[in-house]
Amino acid sequence: MYASPFEYARAGSWAEAVERIADGGEDARAIAGGQSLAPMMMLRMSEPALLVDVGGAAPRAIERRNGTLLVPALARHADLEASAEAWKAFAALPEAAACIGNVRVRHRGTIGGSLAHADPSAELPCVAVAARAHVRTLGPSGERTVPAAELFVSHFTTTLEHGELITHVEVPALREGEGCAFAELVRRPGDFATVEACAVVQLDAGGRCSEARLVVGATADRPLDVTEAIGALRGEEPEAAAEAAARAAAAAVEIGPSAHGSEEYRREMVAVFARRALLAAAARARGEEDGTWSA
Amino acid sequence: MERVKVTLAVNGREVEAWVTPNQPLSEVLRTDAGQTDVKYGCGEGVCGTCTVLLDGDPVNSCLVFAVQADGAQVTTLRGLLEADGTLGALQQSFLEHGGSQCGFCTPGMVLTAHWYVGGHPDADRDELRAALAGNFCRCTGYGKILDAVEAYAQEAAGGG
Amino acid sequence: MEGPFPRDFEEKVAGALRYADDWALPGMLHGAVVRASLPSARIVSIDTEDARAVPGVRAVLTAADVPHNVIAEEASGLGLDPVVMPVLAFDRVRYDGEPVAVVAAETQWAAEQAAALVAVEYEDLPGVFDPEEALTPQAPRVHAHGNRYASWLLEHGDLDAAFAAADVVVEETYRTQHVDHAYLEPEAGVGWIDGDGVLTLRVSTQVIEHARELAEILELPHSRVRVIGAYMGGGFGGKEDMTVEPYLALLAWRTKRPVRMVWTRQESLLARQKRHPFTMRYRTAATREGRITGQDIAIVGNAGAYPLLSTRVMFAAAVNATGPYRFDAARVSSVAAFTNTVPTSAFRGFGAMQVVFGYEQQIDRLADALGMDPLEVRERNFVRKGDPRATGEPIDTEVGIGECLRTATAALGGAPALAPRPGRRVGRGFACSMQPYGRAIFFADRASCWIGLEHDGTLVLRAGVTDLGGGQAASLAQIACEVLGVSIDRSSVHIADSALTPLVGGTFATRQLYMSGNAALKVARELRAKLEPVAAELLGAAGDELAWGSNRVCRSADPDHALTMAELARAAEDRGVMPYCHSTFEAEVGEFDPSTGRGRSFPDYTHGAHGVEVEVDEETGQVRVLRYVACHDVGRMIHRQRVEGQIEGAVAQGIGYALSEEVQIEEGVCASTLFADYLIPSSLDVPDVVAIPLELHPGKGPLGARGVGEPPIGPPAPATAAAIADAIGTRLTQLPMSPERVLAALRAARA
Repeated sequence: MYASPFEYARAGSWAEAVERIADGGEDARAIAGGQSLAPMMMLRMSEPALLVDVGGAAPRAIERRNGTLLVPALARHADLEASAEAWKAFAALPEAAACIGNVRVRHRGTIGGSLAHADPSAELPCVAVAARAHVRTLGPSGERTVPAAELFVSHFTTTLEHGELITHVEVPALREGEGCAFAELVRRPGDFATVEACAVVQLDAGGRCSEARLVVGATADRPLDVTEAIGALRGEEPEAAAEAAARAAAAAVEIGPSAHGSEEYRREMVAVFARRALLAAAARARGEEDGTWSA
Repeated sequence: MERVKVTLAVNGREVEAWVTPNQPLSEVLRTDAGQTDVKYGCGEGVCGTCTVLLDGDPVNSCLVFAVQADGAQVTTLRGLLEADGTLGALQQSFLEHGGSQCGFCTPGMVLTAHWYVGGHPDADRDELRAALAGNFCRCTGYGKILDAVEAYAQEAAGGG
Repeated sequence: MEGPFPRDFEEKVAGALRYADDWALPGMLHGAVVRASLPSARIVSIDTEDARAVPGVRAVLTAADVPHNVIAEEASGLGLDPVVMPVLAFDRVRYDGEPVAVVAAETQWAAEQAAALVAVEYEDLPGVFDPEEALTPQAPRVHAHGNRYASWLLEHGDLDAAFAAADVVVEETYRTQHVDHAYLEPEAGVGWIDGDGVLTLRVSTQVIEHARELAEILELPHSRVRVIGAYMGGGFGGKEDMTVEPYLALLAWRTKRPVRMVWTRQESLLARQKRHPFTMRYRTAATREGRITGQDIAIVGNAGAYPLLSTRVMFAAAVNATGPYRFDAARVSSVAAFTNTVPTSAFRGFGAMQVVFGYEQQIDRLADALGMDPLEVRERNFVRKGDPRATGEPIDTEVGIGECLRTATAALGGAPALAPRPGRRVGRGFACSMQPYGRAIFFADRASCWIGLEHDGTLVLRAGVTDLGGGQAASLAQIACEVLGVSIDRSSVHIADSALTPLVGGTFATRQLYMSGNAALKVARELRAKLEPVAAELLGAAGDELAWGSNRVCRSADPDHALTMAELARAAEDRGVMPYCHSTFEAEVGEFDPSTGRGRSFPDYTHGAHGVEVEVDEETGQVRVLRYVACHDVGRMIHRQRVEGQIEGAVAQGIGYALSEEVQIEEGVCASTLFADYLIPSSLDVPDVVAIPLELHPGKGPLGARGVGEPPIGPPAPATAAAIADAIGTRLTQLPMSPERVLAALRAARA
């Protein structure tokens, strides 16, 4: 099926893109890899009148700057998978990127596009919230920085203004003693998640949990930060306490309707995958496992 | 809808096409460039039959608008043929191992495998299996496809 | 076989083979179908004005524009079908996605635009969506005559006595789901009016003989409609009924322009026919030694809104419902019920595969009940040559199923593929099946073939066979070349043209090797017999002294003096012996009486046994298939690699059927038309399948071959169910065995 007709323009810079979208009005949209937007357009679920192609607006090299992993919005999922810096700084990010779609989607789709699209079943929004990442944006009102936790509102809806574009994602690198992991239940490899969880665990010298964060995705209309629900982990050995914490998290999450399983099943799966993510994060915090990176 | 000119290098051949912005690359390749070795299978980027290499990377040509690809190098299955038109080594391996039945997944499957082995010459069967997981086949059950790719990879690695 | 390889396969890997939607004609229009958006409604009005106003639109047609608005397939072969299916709905729509109008325009974009602008006003009607509910008297009627359709009853022996003599009876109900063929090539074709005013279609179809139905729809002489079958990007039964053909034909005929139509994947998932969901109630009685005495089986199939091939599917289900096992008495009823859901029809296995999920699990339950090894129970009950079926007819070829099972068991022996892991359980299961090949005998099936030598000695074969990708064309060439000693690269096969190739009947029912293969063998032998006197004369030999091979004929004793095929062909023509033949193979004929359920059903069967090892995640219910072996008695292998390819591919489809695939329909509405949501297995979901074709007992195909296209699709679901049961201690009775269902079963077993 065809997308509805639209006009197309390429932007050579973020500033040009913002300007063109502002000129294009309400029906103008940015497109980068298009792996989220193009399918919506082909199915006529999205009908922009102007597409501003930002694919060439900026470089896409991922870098480490002090304690921050600076990921350009145009970095592709495949770039994340292959980035040694990303695996070192926050392994759950490339780990989740490797779970996205298929190899073709990962070579075209971008982190900025995925976050701006805000599909509640997507992997990267969940990880971004868990990582306490920030997105840097440029819009008609200028530049600003938005915490990922404040970005996602509902299905395909963010707090970005119309024409405000994500230019970078800043991911705080893990500190000493911290580990992170992403785990998801999928019906088939590469499918959108049925449930997903991203955990960050910090261990003290005695191997007890000094801090832990947990974000659950794909169950509601946005990633859910359930860190409060796993408070009981603090001061405990992860192996002993992860199960109960994960169950508490599962009890706390909101579960929306889905064709992928009953509410009961998905809630139970949240407990399973939250626990798996917490334990994998703890293992990485102990340096037991270096992630699955191989490039 | 106004048409715009798009220039593509398809398997090394320059192709100019006047397209509307909503035309997917797959359609322009099939109609304007005559590349019927790019197939339509789902239009969602799921099945893999429309796979082409865009500037060397595998993409869903059904989910790229042709205007986005202006100026790009495109490789399709026929781009893997030898200069004299005979089968490339991986294509020959598919033929010999029965890796193609109905043949509809073959363009995407061969291109993806070729691209992957190019970057991972030492890949073992499990890695090849994972690399091809995004290209569906409904005829073979994948075994003979993996046989074909594995034999080709071993040949390529061994023969240098 | 070493190379040279069949040219069609070489063209596939080169990217040169042209499929139906690769054809473009000058001045070609593009077609699109307007489909119903409700499962059951009266059509109040159809307004096409806005659609016609779209620039570039050349035709917007509705039911009123169809000369004879009936897709008339006499599906039963027994004159049983009272219900017709319209090409375009006229008074009401009966399923979500039913075609109501059709559009042709200068561009695909305009056609889609116009299709979206056809305004149909509906008045909702009550619908019925569950087949068992549809059979109750108060259910809304899908068709005026009622919802009960295609009902069969087969009875053999004294069932009451058989149950009375039993020590144990096991009873269970099994349920299967709607599944889609999901071939990678969506339905497609081009149509145009060719020379002499012949409406010509080049389409992706298994059956070029639909040309006659198209002629009826357009009220044209049969001689003025021609269907050319393109090489298919997969069919699996889904291109056995017509797909794009009547719509293309209408548009091309009305506009007098070439038209192309390609269905989107989404409309294919929405509205093209599916596999019948079955509800199967089994009662199986046996002695304490494990000998089956009685089988009492009742099957309800969901036919959806129209008959299509339901009659035949339910017939195959009934005949095969007892499986490859003996019994003293059996009663099998099968009925198709109309519902307001997408029609169901042919799909690889054709009614004989759903029942494998029933009869194999019954054997396992029997073993549970008797405390016996399930493999031993099978061995004690396998059918043998001469045993009666529920139709009363005997099995008339030798049955090698016991050896298949022993071979599969041995091949799956040894340690599990994975060391045990915490939270995971490993299990193994086996299942056997029998699957007919060839059409039901009462169709008096025929296939014809033409063969000839060109002046340069190259061989030409003409047969109306369609090629699904299983090497149907290549196999015919191989058979004929072998008889005449011509090398494959010196042959050409012209296939699938209703005007130019002798008709063979479509490619379905695992019949092409049996029918066309036998026809090719027969005609090749006839040509050889015709040329033999000429060669004998020229070589000064007797006919039986000749050796045919390497594109030459010679005396066996004197290979240095040979005639080339070119010399032979010319010499024959000089003598007035034309070096070509046409011949027809006739399948065996038999009678079946639907009123008594007695008579002859299918020509023969292919038997097999599969073994599978799975790992179940105790926490999530996810099932991973670790190892798979599939053994079939194929009689004689025409081409080992293609036989293995059929087995491996069918197993993958069977694994999808077992674990993940389902077209979800809620209150008649398709829940998702996205390919992303239709879960066919990926390369990571299928292990390396060990295909073991055995050449045990000759069948009725050419050179003793048995058909293998469909047989391997039945066992995967019950074998997987048995392996899951081995792992978790409880049996699942409903497909697909999704993680959620497996987890629920595991919980139930623990409780």
